Amino acid sequence: MDDDVLTTLKILIIGESGVGKSSLLLRFTDDTFDPELAATIGVDFKVKTIAVDGNRAKLAIWDTAGQERFRTLTPSYYRGAQGVILVYDVTKRDSFSKLENWLNELETYCTRNDLVKMLVGNKIDKDNREVDRNEGLKFARKHSMLFIEASAKTRDGVQCAFEELVEKILQTPGLWESSLQGQGVQLSDQQQSGQGACGGYCSLL
Amino acid sequence: MMAADSDPESEVFEITDFTTASEWERFISRVEEVLNDWKLIGRAVAKPPEKGEYTTGTWEEKTKEINFADFKFSITHHYLKQETVESEGKEEPEEDALPLAMQDLLCMNNDFPPRAHCLVRWYGVHEFVVISPGTNCEAIISESKCNLLLSSVSISLANTGCQVPVFVQIQQKWRRMYAGECQGPGVRTDFEMVHLRKVPSQYNHLSGLLDVFKSKIGCPLTPLPPVNVAIRFTYVLQDWQQYSWPQQPPDFDALLAGEVGGVEFGKLPFGACEDPISELHLATTWPHLTEGIVVDNDVYSDLDPLQAPQWSVRVRKADNPQCLLGDFLMEFFKLCGRKESTEDILGRNSVEEDGKENSDITHALSKLTEPAAVPIPKLSVTNMVHSARKRIRRHRRVDESPLSNDVLNSILLYLFPDAAVDKPSDNNESKAQQSNPDGKTEQEKDPEDYNLYNQLKSAPSDSLTYRLALCICMVNFYHGGMRAVAHLWQEFVLEMRYRWENNYLIYGLAGGPPDLRCCLLHQKLQMLNCCIERKRARDDGRKSATAEGVRERKVSGCENGRLGPESAGSTATAGGMEVSPGKSWDSWSDSEDEFFECLSDTDELKEAPAEGERSGAKEASKAKPEGRLQPHGKLTLLNSDQPLYIPVTQEPAPMTEDLLEEQSEVLAKLGTSAEGAHLRARMQSACLLSDMESFKAANPGCSLEDFVRWYSPRDYVEEEVTDESGQTVVRGDLSARMKIPGNMWVEAWETAKATPARRQRRLFDDTKEAEKVLHYLAVQKPADLTRHLLPCIIHAAILKEKEEEAAEDIPSVRKAIQQISSLASKLLRHPNPDYKKLEEIINQIMVVEAVIARARSLKAKFGIGKGERGEDAEDLERFVSSLLEEPEVAVIGAGRGPAGSIIHKLFVSAQRLADSTDEAALLAPLEEEAGRGGGGTEDRKPAGGGGVPDFPPPAGREILLRTCVPRPAPYSKALPQRLFCVLMREEFRLAGAFSSDTSFF
Repeated sequence: MDDDVLTTLKILIIGESGVGKSSLLLRFTDDTFDPELAATIGVDFKVKTIAVDGNRAKLAIWDTAGQERFRTLTPSYYRGAQGVILVYDVTKRDSFSKLENWLNELETYCTRNDLVKMLVGNKIDKDNREVDRNEGLKFARKHSMLFIEASAKTRDGVQCAFEELVEKILQTPGLWESSLQGQGVQLSDQQQSGQGACGGYCSLL
Repeated sequence: MMAADSDPESEVFEITDFTTASEWERFISRVEEVLNDWKLIGRAVAKPPEKGEYTTGTWEEKTKEINFADFKFSITHHYLKQETVESEGKEEPEEDALPLAMQDLLCMNNDFPPRAHCLVRWYGVHEFVVISPGTNCEAIISESKCNLLLSSVSISLANTGCQVPVFVQIQQKWRRMYAGECQGPGVRTDFEMVHLRKVPSQYNHLSGLLDVFKSKIGCPLTPLPPVNVAIRFTYVLQDWQQYSWPQQPPDFDALLAGEVGGVEFGKLPFGACEDPISELHLATTWPHLTEGIVVDNDVYSDLDPLQAPQWSVRVRKADNPQCLLGDFLMEFFKLCGRKESTEDILGRNSVEEDGKENSDITHALSKLTEPAAVPIPKLSVTNMVHSARKRIRRHRRVDESPLSNDVLNSILLYLFPDAAVDKPSDNNESKAQQSNPDGKTEQEKDPEDYNLYNQLKSAPSDSLTYRLALCICMVNFYHGGMRAVAHLWQEFVLEMRYRWENNYLIYGLAGGPPDLRCCLLHQKLQMLNCCIERKRARDDGRKSATAEGVRERKVSGCENGRLGPESAGSTATAGGMEVSPGKSWDSWSDSEDEFFECLSDTDELKEAPAEGERSGAKEASKAKPEGRLQPHGKLTLLNSDQPLYIPVTQEPAPMTEDLLEEQSEVLAKLGTSAEGAHLRARMQSACLLSDMESFKAANPGCSLEDFVRWYSPRDYVEEEVTDESGQTVVRGDLSARMKIPGNMWVEAWETAKATPARRQRRLFDDTKEAEKVLHYLAVQKPADLTRHLLPCIIHAAILKEKEEEAAEDIPSVRKAIQQISSLASKLLRHPNPDYKKLEEIINQIMVVEAVIARARSLKAKFGIGKGERGEDAEDLERFVSSLLEEPEVAVIGAGRGPAGSIIHKLFVSAQRLADSTDEAALLAPLEEEAGRGGGGTEDRKPAGGGGVPDFPPPAGREILLRTCVPRPAPYSKALPQRLFCVLMREEFRLAGAFSSDTSFF
């Protein structure tokens, strides 16, 4: 079964505590929702294989704890991620206003600068919304991210979010291929192709 | 067969039999097939090539293999890529228009292209097919074979109606002999060639060649139409003595003997050791002459190069000039493939202590042999290392030691400048952080360059790792290769151990946990620094505690005089701090029973009453608070009005990327089951537990709610409710997830004892981690070390080239450096870099170096940068930079322009020099203006007055004769005729294309 997997991708889920990172992940991997999911300690880890555009990709998803204190610990796991899902809670304004900090964190600890970032506004099933969809859109545009609103509880947008992210990663050249196609550097005077004894392209002398 | 296919109804069976077709017929049909495949049949519509298009356009080629029996030929189609001519109303060409190749014969837009296939040069064609013997096949020497091939071509062309000329290569390949044919409606052109070793004297000039041309055409018309003539003479300048290569290779002996500051160690060498420009070719061209306008015969010539209307110049670059930076990098890179360990190289007992009896003798010997002239400043830190080093050196003879003391000392001083001056060691902490010695930090100079390290995964350019890379590279090149590398590395590792053991921070590393954007070696060194820092803090704490303890003990008369971790540990355990059995809270932290910031027993005793009280009365709120950092805003504890304090906590363990990798693997291996997840959380909860314990110690009487308000505020939900009395009060509660019975937070909270961080078990065992790092360093072979440091060296090389380019301003180099950086970045960030491709990177770096060196050489030769000529300077600069980028550059104003006069002078002085070596004409004054008055003097003869001619004899002469006359009969169609003559010292070639009307013959 693993043979036809095109690649294994490392995905991160980050964001303030209690915005529903683990719930989103649980919805995606097990299609269940547990209102009483314990607060994550350190990092957690789940695997799921999905097919996008006929390519099967194995996702190793690292779910992180959002608490301030864990942040000295979790960034170590940012290393090598190809995609990141940054989650906020649409009913908690402060979880949205702290997004900037998370992006800085990512900038600092991530080993590659071309990773694909997705912004997810979670808990849209709730009535007491504090963050408008447009604000999320604006933020995502400003930071060149993918954007979607979702609800882990009603499963709205969850599957879609992960699929979009993976698709984007697969479309980004050099982000996931294990072997690099080396393109040479051409200096203007280096392209002599003297082949054959006739000298190919030659001058008089 | 064909008949049967096309007319299946036919009753008649007609069989065409190819079974006896000869190899020859098969060959012909194969040639036709290929011409068909390439769609070369019929007449192509194309504009005549534009002026210079052969140079600016793109040439393409396609090749196939065909066989003649078992003899392999390759057939190649060469063509100039032209934009497809839009068929905008352009009517079909007339039926009997000449094939394009025949029109090319007369076209004057692309004579003497700077770089083109020789057939293009000789015949002016822009599309043609060549059949040549395949690789490893013998040449077509015999005339009959040659004729057989030509006949095949002829038949194929006739059968297919292909108008593209087809050539066959005959004779040895190096002779570049071709014969060929082109056919059109009622016309054909034969391409013929003569190739001799020597120029026959009767053809050594224009008039002789004209005779050949005319007699070959054999035109029956009596007033022969005039022959069009184009001439190009090429002069070669090899002798640059006057303008010798400006770069001196750096003098490394002087460098070491001079200041011992070692500043020079930080610099990579750069530049070519030999002149990267080997020759200058000056082509003087008379593009459009008519027979009779110039005289050039065996006694006289009008062709004075100074008077030629067109000059153009090309430079020949030395093939792979020896360049310092490139050599440096390559030698360094080669180490990556070596297998030897340090022990193999330096000898097994180099680090062991035996053979003491020799030591005095060798020591005495070394005193005699060492050049004692260089005074080495007294070192503070490294002095101690030196004593360690002496122990090693005793076992080696002085001459066996790859690095001499002087060299080694200057390197160590460069690496560890903090050891240079006698200073109280306390200063070195602050210095270690802001590592750059020369005041201005590297970051300020150019942030983009500075941050290159995180693209390349190397190390900051002001870091110890980076400097180490430069030193390793240098000792490898100048001081004994791999042995020296092994030696220096051994010394380096010793210094690391020394610093660990003596609590000296390692100089030149950014503080904090290992920077994962840097190379692993850099991370390891940072890790070691973290260990040293922690150890130091602990030792300092212990020291002050001891001082206090001594005082206290006098008062309290404590019976336990022993200090140290063991006693502290036992007391602590006695104090009720034992780890709850069966729980694996500590499984992730180290398992040693050592305590963070172990305190003296007196400290414990001091607190004993409080502990006793607590355990006795179970009245936690009265316990004495410990390890408070600061109040947490205005928050107070829920159960009392005491302010809520943030405790002093243990820092989480710093990690290098390999440790991290290991750990994530362990965590991932637990799988995705619920048990796995639980175990994973438990493994990571050591930190949480430690924080809880610190919190409890700092806030006696606190509850989990209090902890959560600090640690995970969103999990403490506050609601406004109206109480019985109708007043709105804020009521807070734990979030639902924190209230799940048996969840890990609750579980941990219940397990946590009130223990301040300094008395907790260490989360990070600096002793163990430091030893791990030191061991890791010690077992690195020179090859491993090179691989670790390669990113730094590539980084340094790129910076060096950027710097050198900035001085020269060469756009193509700038672009190339950009490409090299981004390619290197891709390669080096890969977990297992591809060393073949990295070698390619180094090669590209070498190419850039050579280009910059060439620019320098040319600028020196053309006197750029001396700031003499005002308005001409800009033109000259443009001229020189195009010389670098283009195959051939026209000289504006020919011999009279600013560049032209410099070139003229270069030739004149080279000529004089050559002459002076022959005769004793050294005294002849070198005139500033080296012109020859009015000019007009002939070239092949010495100039009047017995002086030396300004130019040497031309290295090559090309004479192109063209006309359009009827052949073979006077009433035939007038067709293009062309003869291209090449006259060189050891080559005489006539390449003729003679067309004839075939309609009635």
